[in-house]
Amino acid sequence: MTKRFFRSKIIYDFFHDPSALVGSFILSVFILAAVLAPWIAPQDPYDLEKVSLEHFLKPPIWKEGGEPPFLLGTDDQGRGILSTVLYGCRTSLIVGFGVVLIAGTFGITMGLLSGYYGGHLDAVIMRLADTFFSFSTTLMAFLLLGLFKERGVLVVIIAICIADWVKYARTMRGSVLEVKEEAYILAAKATGARDLRLLLRHLLPNAMPPIFVVMAVDLAVVIMLEATLSFLGVGVPLTEPSLGMMIAIGKDYIYAGMWWLVVFPGAALVLLVVGINLFADWLREELNPKIEKER
Amino acid sequence: MKRTFLLFLVGIFMGTLSGLTGQAIAASSIVVVVDAPPRTMHPNGSDADCNLSVMANFFDGLLQRKGPEGKLVPALAVRYEHPDLLTWKFYLRKGVKFHNGNPFTAEDVKFSFERLSNPEVSEFINTGKSIASIDIIDDYTVVIKTKEPTQWFANNLHQIYMTDKESTEARDPGEVGVKPIGTGAYKFVEWVKGSYLKMAANEDYWEGAPPIKNVDLRAITESSTRFAALVSGQADLVSGVPVELYKKVIQNPKLEVITRAARRAIFLALGNKPGSPTADIRVRKAMYMAINEDEIIEKIMRGHAAPAAQIVDPATIGYNPDIKRLAYNPEMAKKLLKEAGYEKGFDITLAGPNDRYVQDEKIAEAVVKYLAKVGIKANLDVKPKSIFFPEVTGGKLDFYLIGWFDGAFDMARTYFKLIHTRDAERGFGGWNGTKFSDVTMDLLLESTAGIVDQGKRLQVIQDLNKMAMVDKIAWIPLHYQQDMYAIQKGKGIKFQPRADRWIIFKEISKE
Amino acid sequence: MGTYILRRLIQGAFVLLAVSFICFIIFRYVGDPVLSLAGRYATIQEREMVREAFGLDKPFYVQYTRFIFNAAQGNFGKSYVSRIPALGLILERFPATAELATTAIFIAFVLGVGLGVLVSVKPYALRNRFIMAGSLGGISTPTFLMGIVLIMIFAVYLGILPPFGRGDTVKIGFWRTGFLTWSGISHLILPAFTLGMYQLAVLLRLTRAGMREVLTEEYIKTAWSKGLPPRKVIFKHALRNVLIPVVTMTGLQFGELIAFSIVTETIFQWPGMGNLLLTSIYESDQPVIVTYIMLAALIILSLNIIVDILYAFLNPKIRYD
Repeated sequence: MTKRFFRSKIIYDFFHDPSALVGSFILSVFILAAVLAPWIAPQDPYDLEKVSLEHFLKPPIWKEGGEPPFLLGTDDQGRGILSTVLYGCRTSLIVGFGVVLIAGTFGITMGLLSGYYGGHLDAVIMRLADTFFSFSTTLMAFLLLGLFKERGVLVVIIAICIADWVKYARTMRGSVLEVKEEAYILAAKATGARDLRLLLRHLLPNAMPPIFVVMAVDLAVVIMLEATLSFLGVGVPLTEPSLGMMIAIGKDYIYAGMWWLVVFPGAALVLLVVGINLFADWLREELNPKIEKER
Repeated sequence: MKRTFLLFLVGIFMGTLSGLTGQAIAASSIVVVVDAPPRTMHPNGSDADCNLSVMANFFDGLLQRKGPEGKLVPALAVRYEHPDLLTWKFYLRKGVKFHNGNPFTAEDVKFSFERLSNPEVSEFINTGKSIASIDIIDDYTVVIKTKEPTQWFANNLHQIYMTDKESTEARDPGEVGVKPIGTGAYKFVEWVKGSYLKMAANEDYWEGAPPIKNVDLRAITESSTRFAALVSGQADLVSGVPVELYKKVIQNPKLEVITRAARRAIFLALGNKPGSPTADIRVRKAMYMAINEDEIIEKIMRGHAAPAAQIVDPATIGYNPDIKRLAYNPEMAKKLLKEAGYEKGFDITLAGPNDRYVQDEKIAEAVVKYLAKVGIKANLDVKPKSIFFPEVTGGKLDFYLIGWFDGAFDMARTYFKLIHTRDAERGFGGWNGTKFSDVTMDLLLESTAGIVDQGKRLQVIQDLNKMAMVDKIAWIPLHYQQDMYAIQKGKGIKFQPRADRWIIFKEISKE
Repeated sequence: MGTYILRRLIQGAFVLLAVSFICFIIFRYVGDPVLSLAGRYATIQEREMVREAFGLDKPFYVQYTRFIFNAAQGNFGKSYVSRIPALGLILERFPATAELATTAIFIAFVLGVGLGVLVSVKPYALRNRFIMAGSLGGISTPTFLMGIVLIMIFAVYLGILPPFGRGDTVKIGFWRTGFLTWSGISHLILPAFTLGMYQLAVLLRLTRAGMREVLTEEYIKTAWSKGLPPRKVIFKHALRNVLIPVVTMTGLQFGELIAFSIVTETIFQWPGMGNLLLTSIYESDQPVIVTYIMLAALIILSLNIIVDILYAFLNPKIRYD
């Protein structure tokens, strides 16, 4: 019954709010572009046979010297900027969704157990969480990747998850603590429902709304973090596309007037994150009972 | 409240005033920007060129290399003798004083050489350990005996610096590492790590006071930032103009670019394990021919490199002008691979550093692409030198990019380290990262240690060079880097780049 | 309250020990410093000799206990690269990072809260919509990109602000400051704004959200109806309540601030601790890295405790037992 309620009001609000629509539109475009990258990109920038030095540092086609199919110009290895940006968005989204999924699942589980059972388990989990949290996701990921020197998309995801799960655990715990004493939970308990069933069928769905907001915000944060790590050279390896790495390569060419190496990946990154943030903002308002709804 | 504000204003005023007066006094002073900072003030605490270059200004060795070609001439030793294969006798210069007034004597020479073996303050362990004994004959005569015949011993002395025994022993090693006291042309003034190093001319220098009175050395690792310092007029001399910004610097009327061929050669090392594809000389030839070095020089090095046919530079003993490069010929490469039975190609991993040589990462990327076009699937594995170099010395690689030049100008020394079969006992092959092994070459190389006649030795070494590069293709040579410097035109600075890329300030003059 | 602080301090000490232990374990698997320590031409025996000299051949627990023992006395070992004591190397750069960080926080706080209050009073005015859009961009732009963009605009195209270094600094005692020269201040502007921009945007949105909530509360409506001047209502009553979450947020973000100062210092070649950490990581200079991590842990833990205590003072409803 609660599900039906959510579906109707939320969907209605969604389609009537400009920031929600714009935000999710942007995000969908990016996801689509990233998924379809192998087909729509003019070239696969990481297929070594197709890329050639003779095309290096060409400007976008509307400037003198530009040539198709390199619509947005090329970088110093001869890779097309448009293609690399498309593939780079792929990496960003994979890491983003990967972390949200893994850290989210782990964090939610920890939060559920912590909130429901309380006591020593709660204390231990929360102390652990505090320690990881105080180091901040960025610092943790940076130190881990910097020290271990392993490179790879999965490695980056895990390094970020190590400190990122905390926000999910904390939110879930808070949510569970609120919902724990509600009438319908106590009723279910009274009718002899087992713990697991209680946790999964009753507590979890009702404690989820704040988690959705955290997920949306986290997606934006993680995508920016991946770009930062790759920029510093501790993120994905050289052979994987990444918007952050493109900007790192491009910054040396700014003084020489070759702005397209930085501007296009930078714009793509900011646009993607703005889209996610717009959606997250709307979601936060939608699921927050305290603010008076403005017309 | 008002009083603190007043104090604040006074502070700013004083600060600006001191900054301005600083500028006025330093009329005969220059600001030099380099791409790597000095890491320590222990004279032999680092064997990196960026450090040795700075030390050469505070300290002198028994011998020195005068720019621009680096000819070995007397410094703190007026002459030396080499009576037998193990003995070196030095006659020291009289009347030389350290920056703190202490006289320079044979005691200091013995102390400095012995200090080389202490890993807490020196990275020249090998040089230190190669010495069997140091005898002080009198205050100005020293005899050094090496454990094994070491033909290049004297050639190395320009980078073994003499330090003052008395003050070094009296001070805490931490302080010695930040405040150098030598006999050099410049005295230490101030070192703010990460920002600048200031030095002032030594008016009592034994060779005569240097013309430039004050030097402010700064290190900027980011190439684009270095460019900004140059363009904004904050730097008078910049070492290491970024390749991609060369055109912009040339177009700027206020700047002048000075280039010279570097000593360092960049090349690819290939293993020859029996059974592996690269053990076949045809495969090695094919890989050599598959790489379009001219395009690498043009596009990646932006024209600032010279093609290399061997791994030693013209100034090194052993350089053989008869050796020529194999021409770029991908069709021939494919043919050779087919002949060798590798028509479908094979897999191999190319390792390399990404923070050591000019465009190292990009060169490696390009090489991988060229190999792909003839069917060889190379995986790129570039990493920071702190991880890459241990892999090389550990002998763990099959194929890698590296650069090298020998500070002692002797090819045999290089070959013992790089290509001789690995032999921990005798200390050979420490940098033979692919475990390359060729007994014929080993024997020929070892024979050069015992040849007394320098002319004959040169002949043998040149033949060895030819054997390695032409017959065995021990390495695939790529190019010699080019050193690029830029100076502000209006300041009247006369600067000639040295072959070893050091910047010796006493060699710079003003009009 | 006293027992609470004591408990936190003891827990903090345990965390520091755990952190150092983890660092040590990690370093067992990462790179071998002996190679660079012994120089390019050292033979394998010479390298073993160096390994012994530095105590790197001893078993793990011996190395670790020796490290803890020394650390307690302030000796964190010597840098493998420069052979200078690690602690001194890092602390020497502390003033540079501290000045950068405090300026950034100051900018973020003053402008963030200030603009947040401004925007919350008339949310739909055109100017305020622009500011809100700007803050959306601010939280969507990673720090490194912000730095590069600022350099592009102010240093490359306009050429009015310097893009690297600290400029001329003045040494007072052991502290080297850039605040006292015009050159020092002008060099501080771009990096401080880069570092503070994200925080600024976060605080702006937080203040606005908080103010929106508070402005609809009953006691505010009472104050309005009583005819109190608007400035008093906003600052004395509304803002005070909003400041609590804002201050706690600033405190909690400190870990992020340290992390992003590394990025900022790299881009602007600012000679601070973060810059040193990055080069040390590239060079596998273990003593420096371990010292930095422990120092960072110490600062973060202390700040957390201080923020918790401040929070207790600000909010009378919280009681620690």
